[in-house]
Amino acid sequence: MSEPHKDLLQIEDLNKDEIESILAAAQPFKELFKRSVKKVPTLQGKTVLSLFYEPSTRTSSSFEVAANRLSADFTSLAVASSSVVKGETVLDTVDTLGAMRADYIVIRHKKAGIPNLVAEHTDASVINAGDGFHAHPTQALLDASTLYDVFGKLDFSGKKILIVGDILHSRVARSTSRIMTMLGAEVRVLGPGTLVPPGRPDKMKKFKNYEEAMDWKPDVVYLLRVQFERQGEQFFPSSGEYHSVYGLNEERFNKIKDEGVWVMHPGPVNRGVELADSVTTYDRCLINRQVENGIATRMAVLYWLKPQTFQQDG
Amino acid sequence: MDDLILLKQASVASEDSTDLFENDVLVENGVIKAVSSSLNASDGTRVIDAKGKVLLPGLFDVHVHVREPGQTSKETIRTGSEAAINGGVTGIVAMPNTVPAIDNGGMVRSVLEIAGRDSRVEFFTTGCITKDRKGKEMAAIGGMKEAGVVMITDDGSPVENPQLLRRAMEYAREFDLPLASHCETMHLSGAGAMNEGKRSYKLGVPGIPSISEEVCIARDIQIAAYTGAHLHLQHVTTARGMELIRRAKNDGVKITCEVAPHHLIFNENDIVNYDTYFKMNPPLRTEEDNEKLLEGLIEGVFDVIATDHAPHTEFEKKQQDFETAPFGITGLETALPSLYHHYIKEGKFGWDLLVKRYAAEPRRILNLDQVSVKEGSRAELVLFDPQATTTFSQEFMKSKSPNTPFLDKELQGSVDLVVNGEEVLLDRSDGAA
Repeated sequence: MSEPHKDLLQIEDLNKDEIESILAAAQPFKELFKRSVKKVPTLQGKTVLSLFYEPSTRTSSSFEVAANRLSADFTSLAVASSSVVKGETVLDTVDTLGAMRADYIVIRHKKAGIPNLVAEHTDASVINAGDGFHAHPTQALLDASTLYDVFGKLDFSGKKILIVGDILHSRVARSTSRIMTMLGAEVRVLGPGTLVPPGRPDKMKKFKNYEEAMDWKPDVVYLLRVQFERQGEQFFPSSGEYHSVYGLNEERFNKIKDEGVWVMHPGPVNRGVELADSVTTYDRCLINRQVENGIATRMAVLYWLKPQTFQQDG
Repeated sequence: MDDLILLKQASVASEDSTDLFENDVLVENGVIKAVSSSLNASDGTRVIDAKGKVLLPGLFDVHVHVREPGQTSKETIRTGSEAAINGGVTGIVAMPNTVPAIDNGGMVRSVLEIAGRDSRVEFFTTGCITKDRKGKEMAAIGGMKEAGVVMITDDGSPVENPQLLRRAMEYAREFDLPLASHCETMHLSGAGAMNEGKRSYKLGVPGIPSISEEVCIARDIQIAAYTGAHLHLQHVTTARGMELIRRAKNDGVKITCEVAPHHLIFNENDIVNYDTYFKMNPPLRTEEDNEKLLEGLIEGVFDVIATDHAPHTEFEKKQQDFETAPFGITGLETALPSLYHHYIKEGKFGWDLLVKRYAAEPRRILNLDQVSVKEGSRAELVLFDPQATTTFSQEFMKSKSPNTPFLDKELQGSVDLVVNGEEVLLDRSDGAA
């Protein structure tokens, strides 16, 4: 069964049917982008407000483009630099947004659970655009949408996905591994011992090194961004050493090319750290496709969610 | 106040016996005059039908935050003492992390003066180990002892500098003051907000690893063994930490320790939808720790049960996210019913354990006068009805703050009557015979 939800807070709140509904809804939007007029009137008169408490370029602009292409009014509050520093709490800000009659609130925050808290206090649909280490559900959906294109079906059974890097601080790893597993794929991880925590799900087996991981014959290598900004302490000696031990360097890349492995990355890429320069021009590198699908998937999410504010139309 | 109270057919609990003995208990002028199978009431005696109800000595909590002075929107000495009464607790020991902190004799005197006016239960205070709990310089330990503190602690923080802790132990030892440790290694806790493990991974909340507590317990035990001071370890939460204590006690190190009801009853998996009423420090650990801590309590590793009653306003807890909200939950009002509900009713342990660990030993480790349900004892009594239930609604609770995981939950048992000396502090008994 697939009933539209008020909020999108974490992948765990969706069942397989619901995920499939959202991903299916994204497909016509992808077709739309091939036309000269890329806009539909679906959300005309509705308001999307974005609250990014953490800097972001691609996610916030992706939501903005998605809202615009659905003909919604989009406003972003530069909260990182305004009232927050004056001691206003997130909920105070949300109250203000309520007064502005926002129908959708897109929120990113460095603390886990903030979107959950906000969702309890507003009739607007809350879309989690990344909270702390917790969740990034639209990233997971766009990743699944991208592999849907590549695999040609929504059943990922038998597919193997290797996630490489900082699992500990990654909301992408949590959300994307969850959705991939739900769709039938097997997910395993590789990364520094400091950044692959034992608290991860048991079925996410850990490899010791690239050689062992490549012997597993993954279909997809998903590189995570090294989140220097999240690390108040040292988890590996240097970015140079990270690249040589866990980076997709030229030598490993050649092997990946030979075997036709797909490469993904949530962006933005630290060139020369997670991957060598040449990877981005590889024809099975899906990084740009992920960005493109991000817009269609976020349109599908806005289209699928049901804000409580609509009921006031009677 | 009636000068004479006769409790008829009460099931009397003591620390010495797993059995309850049905007896009549006569209280005269604040003292237990007689305990016998059949007592007759003289004129003017208030008679209370206590059949089927458990009569126990007033409970004593060595770990309470009353937030006064400085944070009286969370709690005051008055409301804290009323919360204690509501839970059958007739003696409390206040923590010194007030604003300003209780770190000198003058502060101790002023807090005890407020308590003399506002507290309706026996009130004791601790003082800081270090000035303003900053861990830099020793506080006025001798001066605070003279003013009446029963223990010193920087509760809420560890004394990070081991040399300073050692000196404080050596110094406090000569005043016969126990030094209580909040065991945590700050570099290991970092920005953690809950136990590090599967649950913290899933919620994406930074974790506090068990080693943060255990490393500090190990360190403090070694320093206590070296100095010969009385070390009291507060709110122990991990099985491994507890085993370190068990071993040290067997080796003869002078240690006492406490366990909190919430660390026995709840674990990390109870943290659902970022509910901050399950956030405290040290955090809820694992289900296995629940089981091991309960075993330890039954086997006598833990000297006392203490709640770490830590009120915070609804705003602080519910209008903020899990990571930002302060650590701490209240406990005075729920401790007895929750321990009855989860353990005594289920036959996991008896009333003797509860009396020993939450009434007798807490007074003993602080060298305070004992009370018991025996002839000649000062009357500090709690009458508990195991047949009734209690719902912990905001209206029911007397604490200023509602931050308990039991909020709006129903537990088996009810505190019906609380007597402290000549005063009846609480009377919900409708059993006037």
